[in-house]
Amino acid sequence: MNTTPVRLLLVDDEERFVTTLARLLGLRGMAVTSALSAEQALAAFAPGAFDVALLDVKMPGVSGVDLLVELRKRDPDIEVIMLTGHASVDVAAEIMSRGGSDYLLKPCPTDDIAAKILSAYERRCAKKG
Amino acid sequence: MPQKTPESASPSRALALAACALALGAPLLSGWAGMAAGAGAAGCVLYGRWKWAKLVRQGKAQRDALRDRLLQSQKLAAIGEVAAGIAHEINNPLAVITQETEWMEHLLAPPLPMSEQTYSAVRQGLKDVQAQVNRCADITHSLLSLARNWTPILQPVDLNTLAEDMAKLVELEARQRNVTLDRRYAPDLPEALLDPPLMRQAILNLLVNALHAVEGGGVISMATAPGPEGGCILRVADTGPGIPEQNISRIFDPFFTTKAPGKGTGLGLAITHRIIDRLGGTITAESPPGKGAVFTISLPPTPAKEPQP
Repeated sequence: MNTTPVRLLLVDDEERFVTTLARLLGLRGMAVTSALSAEQALAAFAPGAFDVALLDVKMPGVSGVDLLVELRKRDPDIEVIMLTGHASVDVAAEIMSRGGSDYLLKPCPTDDIAAKILSAYERRCAKKG
Repeated sequence: MPQKTPESASPSRALALAACALALGAPLLSGWAGMAAGAGAAGCVLYGRWKWAKLVRQGKAQRDALRDRLLQSQKLAAIGEVAAGIAHEINNPLAVITQETEWMEHLLAPPLPMSEQTYSAVRQGLKDVQAQVNRCADITHSLLSLARNWTPILQPVDLNTLAEDMAKLVELEARQRNVTLDRRYAPDLPEALLDPPLMRQAILNLLVNALHAVEGGGVISMATAPGPEGGCILRVADTGPGIPEQNISRIFDPFFTTKAPGKGTGLGLAITHRIIDRLGGTITAESPPGKGAVFTISLPPTPAKEPQP
């Protein structure tokens, strides 16, 4: 089991998904802060407080892509991975062009999600030196 | 004595012959030329017409081909949009199931027997999985409903009665949610030519949609009124947050929803729209600022009965 102390911001409007994924990533040693909307996420956010953010693309109100832009504005070092229920070249291109590190298609095993988070975390550590 | 040849016998004779030839030949020649010219002009006209018809035919063929390509690309775009909607709506519950089963697997790991707490957590996990499976089933069933080729069986119906049947159906739930169901039925409403089961479904969809909109209390108003030229109008309004202006044009699109995950398939209004269309009516959505949402169904008049001989 990986015990890397990744500080993760998990944002998705699917409550049961957030609860269970937070537990499973917690078992892998990650410190997970959950939010059910972009507004909740921004309220919990502070520059330097998180290493990686895992955001759902489609959320009511402020979308995941808009949240990605806002988080990157507030903390340019944060690595952001997007989760989406429907992957398309357009969505992927938009995520990357807005500063997203990676994206994952739902449904996705927790091992795959954890692997992406760890690799994003390593990128952040390398950037910070 | 020189021999006289006819040609040289007399210059005046030759001239006279030439004059005769001219006199006789000119009209003849001009007739031929005229005929030839006439025929040429007619030929030109015919050729021009043929050429024009050919160009028109080619133009029409090109236009039809372009229209077919446009329709095809519109169809593909619509299919793509619907497919993306289906993928999103199905992948989200699948994601919950994926993580939930992983969590239960973790809970069920040895040592056994499990504690009371673990047992409860696993039971809860199974319930959640079941709920997500039902959610997927709702989506696929609604999709099939949307895709069904409805052939309405039309009959003259009292729209007020249909509306009241559906109002009674949601009344109890409305009361439990602190929602008032206000009914205003026009007493002089003409009969409408409808398929009652389809119309019931359309009204129910609108009422359920309104019920979700006024979550936490409010008013749903359902009213009927005579429409233009003997038709009927049914209006369902709610005091919910309304529909943002940018969403009005998409409100009847399949999978378009502003509801929380699992709170609707995003197909209810699309199905309603399809039903009303099949019944020959129209449905519109309005959302005056600060006044909730208003859905108006306009049904065509019942055709006059043929007088019996």
